[in-house]
Amino acid sequence: MNFARIHAIAARKFASLRRDKRTFGFIVIMPAIQIVLMGIAIGQVPTGLDIAIINDGATGMGAIITDHLMDSESLVVHADYGSVAEARDGIEAGDIWAALHITPDGTLELHLDNSNQQVSATILVEVRNAMTAALEEQGDALPLAVAQPVYGERDPAFIDFLAPGIMTMVCFMFSLILTTMAFVGERYDGTLDRVFAAGTLPVEVLLGHLAAFSTVLIGQVTVVILIAVYGFDIPINGSLPLLFLLALLLGWSAMCFGLFISTKARSEFQAMQLNMPVMFPVMLLSGILWPVQALPGWVQPISWALPSTWTAEAFRSIMIRGWGLEHSEVATAFAFNLLFALLALAVAARSLKVRD
Amino acid sequence: MVAAVECRALERGYGSLEVLRGLDMEVGAGSIYGLLGPSGCGKTTLLKVLLGRLVPWGGTVLALGSAPGEPGAPVPGPAVGYSPQELALYEDLSIGETLRFHGRLQLLEPAQVAQREAWLLDFLDLPDPERVVGKLSGGQKRRVSLAVALLHEPQLLLLDEPTVGVDPELRARLWDHLRTIADGGTAVILTTHYIDEAAQADTVGLMRNGRLLAEDAPQVLMEPHGHVSLEQTFLLLCRREGAKT
Repeated sequence: MNFARIHAIAARKFASLRRDKRTFGFIVIMPAIQIVLMGIAIGQVPTGLDIAIINDGATGMGAIITDHLMDSESLVVHADYGSVAEARDGIEAGDIWAALHITPDGTLELHLDNSNQQVSATILVEVRNAMTAALEEQGDALPLAVAQPVYGERDPAFIDFLAPGIMTMVCFMFSLILTTMAFVGERYDGTLDRVFAAGTLPVEVLLGHLAAFSTVLIGQVTVVILIAVYGFDIPINGSLPLLFLLALLLGWSAMCFGLFISTKARSEFQAMQLNMPVMFPVMLLSGILWPVQALPGWVQPISWALPSTWTAEAFRSIMIRGWGLEHSEVATAFAFNLLFALLALAVAARSLKVRD
Repeated sequence: MVAAVECRALERGYGSLEVLRGLDMEVGAGSIYGLLGPSGCGKTTLLKVLLGRLVPWGGTVLALGSAPGEPGAPVPGPAVGYSPQELALYEDLSIGETLRFHGRLQLLEPAQVAQREAWLLDFLDLPDPERVVGKLSGGQKRRVSLAVALLHEPQLLLLDEPTVGVDPELRARLWDHLRTIADGGTAVILTTHYIDEAAQADTVGLMRNGRLLAEDAPQVLMEPHGHVSLEQTFLLLCRREGAKT
């Protein structure tokens, strides 16, 4: 392996990237847009949900619960429904999501439009919170007390779970897209023939590209972490440099795999197509949008073969639990990404033939 | 004569298509070899075998004393210069960047590259080195492509259709230059469609259907048949070959 050749290829690729300002801007701004949209669109608590309260209660409990529900940001409480039957008509007509009936003996009865699970779940949580608060005010309490959590906050938001996953997905996807088309053109326009005629080895070509793309990767990772931390106020309890380093490593895994795709694709269109069978498993099986533990048992081995699964878990551990490399879960993510990157690079080097 | 390139019974194709069918060829060090033949006859495939890019299916090939692509062989490497038929340039680089990229790839010192760059810009009548290759005319691009092949003064120079789109004055100068470097010991193999041009080579190989019909000095090829031009010799040989099969 010759460092001068790697340097030559890296400098050449970098000059091309820098000259193509539109693409350069696109590959740094796109991940930013994606992470902003995802943060805004997924995992926030619904607001403005209309519910009716029919208070037939004889005790003061009903009034206290109603007060608490009126304070809720998620709910818009309507007290003008006279009876349960009237409220159920309201649900049927689509005017309200739910009706809470406080019966004369003090028990609660909830009537739901259960067509949207997230909406129902939000209403249930709000009603439960109101009940707990009402009981506490009367000097009473549920026989369950949740102690201060070991990790995480008392009221964890779904976005806290989601953010590490989204960061994983964005870092992986954009690194992959960046490299899949790296030398599809070069393989057919004779320029790669020329590079090989000079005695260049495939691995030198690959490392040169990797070095040039790494400058973009560093920019992407910085933007993604800055937006997650400062844009969405996601707490990072662990080491920020460790998080940054793992994100880079994940990017390299994806890039090496992208370079492999690039050695196989016959056209840029085909390269884009070949991205899909990688991107979808990464998006859906890596525990990014939903926990891996919820996947069917036979799918889980596939999840753990993806570097993104290890990375998303480790991101969560670093960000929420504040873990460092001394925890095997974090250390494994580093090792797995490194191994995956080297393996993908080796396969790509074999696939990019000097001799045919 | 020391052979820079030697092929014996060379065979190579793509998939089920046979392109080179038992080709014999010998190129002396310090000579210019013109490869003449219709398109599709296998000229480019032959050059790619010489570069070690394509592995022969049968027969043997030696370039600068070793089988190309074998461990320790000088080819591929800085000993060879190659100008493909397609321009094979990075359209987004400037002329200067292109030359410096290939200079580094050929492991030249920056000072050497600068010196060669200055000479080549002048010799090939190239525009401002700051100009981006993608915005040059076809002829200018062809000259940049030639500059890349000549940059590191290789011992073996493979030029695939180097004079397409090059004006007659520059073509004459290029031939003068090839003669000079051949006198200095470089072996030059070039493919061409221009039959008159091939007549300036030391040796001409008349290629058809993946084989050489004849290989000799142009004067020798013309004389025995009483023909005045290579073209007539080529036609005659083709007819004879056609009659045989």
